[in-house]
Amino acid sequence: MRLFNAIKGKSAWVFTGLLALTFCSIVMSITFGPATITSLDIFHCVVNECATPMHDMVIWQIRIPRVLVGLVAGMGLACAGAILQNVTRNPLADPYLFGIISGAGLGATIATLVLNEEQMLALPLAAFLGALFSVIIVFGIATLLRNMNHLLLTGVAVSFMLGSISHFILYLGDPFATNRVIFWLMGSLTRVEMFHFYLISAMVLLTLITIFALHRQIDALLLGDESAASLGVNVDKLRIILLALCAAVTATIVAYCGGIGFVGLMIPHIVRQLVGVTTMPLIIGSALVGGCFLVWVDVLARSALSTVEIPIGIITSAIGSIFFLAIMYRTRKTG
Amino acid sequence: MSKLLNIEAVTWSVEKHVILNDISFDVFRGDIIGIIGPNGAGKTSLLKCLLNQYKNWQGCINLKNKSIRHYKPHELAQTFALVVQKSPPIFDLKVYDVVRMGLLPYKTLFARDTDADKKEIMLALDKVGLATNENKFFNTLSGGEQQRVLIAKALVQKAKILVLDEPTNHLDIFYQHQILQLVKALNITVIMTIHDLNLAAQYCNRLLLLDKGTLVTNSNVDKVLSPKVLSKVFGLPCYRDDAQHCGVPRVYFYPESGAADNNKMKPSNSSLDDIL
Repeated sequence: MRLFNAIKGKSAWVFTGLLALTFCSIVMSITFGPATITSLDIFHCVVNECATPMHDMVIWQIRIPRVLVGLVAGMGLACAGAILQNVTRNPLADPYLFGIISGAGLGATIATLVLNEEQMLALPLAAFLGALFSVIIVFGIATLLRNMNHLLLTGVAVSFMLGSISHFILYLGDPFATNRVIFWLMGSLTRVEMFHFYLISAMVLLTLITIFALHRQIDALLLGDESAASLGVNVDKLRIILLALCAAVTATIVAYCGGIGFVGLMIPHIVRQLVGVTTMPLIIGSALVGGCFLVWVDVLARSALSTVEIPIGIITSAIGSIFFLAIMYRTRKTG
Repeated sequence: MSKLLNIEAVTWSVEKHVILNDISFDVFRGDIIGIIGPNGAGKTSLLKCLLNQYKNWQGCINLKNKSIRHYKPHELAQTFALVVQKSPPIFDLKVYDVVRMGLLPYKTLFARDTDADKKEIMLALDKVGLATNENKFFNTLSGGEQQRVLIAKALVQKAKILVLDEPTNHLDIFYQHQILQLVKALNITVIMTIHDLNLAAQYCNRLLLLDKGTLVTNSNVDKVLSPKVLSKVFGLPCYRDDAQHCGVPRVYFYPESGAADNNKMKPSNSSLDDIL
């Protein structure tokens, strides 16, 4: 409650609406899928006991973990995007611009081609290590250049470099393994479990707590490094802490859910229109909208085609590109 | 007047290139100091050293008899407030959000705004004449209004020394005077870099003239605005008008006719020491 005391007026209504939307999204999204489950079935399962063992299995072991992982993954990606955009003062900043997805892809490629079928559990770990490897390279080069403002450009360069290595390995590798990596890179919540929800939500919680603690410092960066430094902010240290945090939360999400692009880029743009640009409302709003967005994208992924699931990365990228074209059109109209 | 700041032999170099060379002066409570000089003289660099934003400067800068190196960043932020307008924010910050940033040096982690903070922000906006503009977007304001918002932020910061980096840049004559009148009316110690010598003469009680990183003169307006010295420093013939209709001397620069080559306009080989 204390958190929301600071937010009054129009924003209070927006956040109340978003909270209600998040709750409804969680409940309603559980009802979508090949097996027919109603809201009443979910109510019975949560409050008392499931009507049938099939309901018990589908709701507790498949739908709920999937919806919850989708929710926290969307929250994490949207928050990481919002923070990166504020910290770098670049509206096009996105967690994937650190080369995280390419690094994770390289890790996944190596693990898939080197390890055999039984050791496939190592894929998320390899993807996480690949993502961290990429982040360390990006940070290392930006530090050598002594300019943190070059971080995103370095990320783009490293991303292309790691991507080309992955493609080269896949080109030479077994076609079946190649397919598996490519499908994983498109993003999916098919194989997630409650353990992944606990892990990702712990990272998202750590990110939110850190951001709430440092929200004034992050706001100060919006007026420029010089102005922030004169307000007592250690700009370089703050930027490194936040970038490392964004990298860690994104790498954790990518490791279990694969490549889900555009969430971190798109959601903060929408939320800024609703609640403004300062850190506290932006982050809370981005978390709620990002969570809802990914939950419904996953619903679409598993229900759009009756025979096969669509990778969610394909849907987020398609929506994201249309969204950006719409923004460009609107900007052109408003001058 | 009590001494607030003591600057002693401050030197700052970047890869053997000396930017500031042996600068010494004192700042007294209530001073309005104008730092003047040509481009590249080291005016902004001097401000950044005062704010301890450069780490490798040499010499002493003492605030209340204690080196500024020994102050924590938030303590320095409670003493110095910087008003700089180099690039507008990318995102649509509201006026209220910008002024609210002045609370930062006094807030701990997780701290939220109190009702007293909100009153203070509104009071600061009222002082700079923007009380009804709290919900406007900063980017949509005129240059003069943006400067006034940044000054309101400095007021919320409750700093003892207001540091302004070229506050009248890009402003028309009306806003130039409006900003400087406002700064003067605040009755706090001010250090500012300024290009317009006549504006500096009108609003500052002391001027520091810098040239190539060296402090040429540090005195009152009458002594610093010497045509001989200014001609030498700015490389243009300088004339002074002592007609006292505005209470302070005014200086004018007239390039020699047909002197396209800057070197032709540079006065003789006499050194500044000879002139002074």
